[in-house]
Amino acid sequence: MTVERGSPAFRIAVHGAMILLSLLAIFPLWWMIATSLRPEGEVFSTALFPASPTLENYRAALEALPMPRILWNTFAMAALTAAAQAASGLLAAYALVFWRFRGARTAQVLIALSWLVPFQVVMIPNYVLATRLGMLDSLAGLVIPNAAAAFAVLLMINALRSFPKEIVEAARMDGAGSLRILVEVIVPNLRAPLASLGVLAFISAWNEYFWPLLLIRRMEASVVQIGLQFFMTQEGNDWGPLMAAATMASLPILALYLVLHRQVIDSFMRSGIR
Amino acid sequence: MTEAAIPAARRSVVRLPLLGVKLSEPWLYLAPALLIVVVWTWAPLVGAFGLSFQQWNMLPHSEPRWVGLDNYANLVTLPDMGRAVSNTLLYILGLFPLSVIAPLAIAILTQDLSGPLRNLYRTLVFLPMIVAPIVAAVLWRWLLNEDHGLVNAGLSALGFARIGFLSDPDVALWTLVWITGWKLIGFSTLLLSAANAAIPASYIEAARMDGASRWRIVRDIRLPLLSPTILLLSMMTVLFGAQWSFVYINALTGGGPLRSTTNVFFLMWEYGFKTMSAGWSAAAGVLTFVVFGLAALGCLRLMRKYAVHDS
Repeated sequence: MTVERGSPAFRIAVHGAMILLSLLAIFPLWWMIATSLRPEGEVFSTALFPASPTLENYRAALEALPMPRILWNTFAMAALTAAAQAASGLLAAYALVFWRFRGARTAQVLIALSWLVPFQVVMIPNYVLATRLGMLDSLAGLVIPNAAAAFAVLLMINALRSFPKEIVEAARMDGAGSLRILVEVIVPNLRAPLASLGVLAFISAWNEYFWPLLLIRRMEASVVQIGLQFFMTQEGNDWGPLMAAATMASLPILALYLVLHRQVIDSFMRSGIR
Repeated sequence: MTEAAIPAARRSVVRLPLLGVKLSEPWLYLAPALLIVVVWTWAPLVGAFGLSFQQWNMLPHSEPRWVGLDNYANLVTLPDMGRAVSNTLLYILGLFPLSVIAPLAIAILTQDLSGPLRNLYRTLVFLPMIVAPIVAAVLWRWLLNEDHGLVNAGLSALGFARIGFLSDPDVALWTLVWITGWKLIGFSTLLLSAANAAIPASYIEAARMDGASRWRIVRDIRLPLLSPTILLLSMMTVLFGAQWSFVYINALTGGGPLRSTTNVFFLMWEYGFKTMSAGWSAAAGVLTFVVFGLAALGCLRLMRKYAVHDS
């Protein structure tokens, strides 16, 4: 017995699979938000919607964690990291695509393969170096080691390879220097890949866990992932406030996704997994 | 490979007025990215290699002491290490059904899906990928809580025994694998769907005209043409699966219960920052890097072979 493609039974199976997968993806998030809105006596309820929603848990979470400060730290860290990765990636790709020079191949391999070195392998020397440079608990310490990323350079190399060479050639004929060509000719035509790289790098940096875990000691300097981990260790079974804190930690990214979901999906798909 | 598009700029040289140093232009553009990866990835890798032959408790006033191959000799005989290595393999193998096999099945099943719902599915299914790992840890810890979690409430309502998802040594590792996979399954599905949609309809049509069964079309046409994407996802799973699980181990189980959820990446972290034996951590790191580096080279070679096959 075979089910014909296009038959009603087949279409139900197809939609059924996708609906199941969608529910699997969003239900845990919905449960987080629903729990965060339940009053204390209702936390263990299994009702899909909170019967009498309250913001009480948010108040409790805000009292326990300096949330505005932490969210600001995280935003600054993620925005600076994304900008730095886009800039260093663009510059490196410019050199590798438009010049032929001795050592180019070595440089490209050093950058590309850096993505193979697990962070746990280099964490001790990195921690020692960051300590010597006085980078503990600092924004600079969070951003600088991540100011360049292999995937950013590779994405920009791909973008520049397909860039029309005639335009660059024409600008050069007009006597423009290489920096002027980059700023005035290439960058304005590279807005889409730069934006997609920026979004990708921002989300990755926002969700970064390991390096801040090593670097951050004080709550005032903390980022949201570490704040959440701290809160979970301290008040692990205060489910209402914990879910409120987790919701606040996710809201900026979820809001970004709500607006830019198509671009976000495309840029993740284009760069593979980060 | 790369064509020199600006031949005249090839030998151009920039003088840095303050330093009096001459630098050729491409190196100047390359400098920021190269400097960062050398200072924060390659130099530390060399540093870790050196540290793996020393004993050091990481205290500022203590000096590292040279111990030769002792760290390696100790590691190989420690039961901790054996457990961590076998668990690392379990993490990777356990992730395959979620990161490759189920997505492949769903992508092939849903290939003709179109219309407005398709975009809605895409948007929803992808969502876990952008959720922060620690948020994923927190919300699954709640859903799977032994006493009050929704999953156990459902199990006991159906008459089953409650499961200690994070406290039962036989289950905890698979719970962490599930959380790791939950973030990936939708993304992998979208990636495979995109590759599947790129297969020319004429190939399928021609095979159907020849009377090929649906299964034969999948086996002889779709799977070979999807193999580069399947390989990419498999490579990611092998190389990074155990690393992705680190957050959940550290946040949810601390390697327990009874060391059932530890893996090599968590072991390095414990040696380094819990028991302060930097040398052991570095030695474990060097061994891990060598093994995964060889795996990566193998994977890249395989991918190159199949990339040719694709065109």
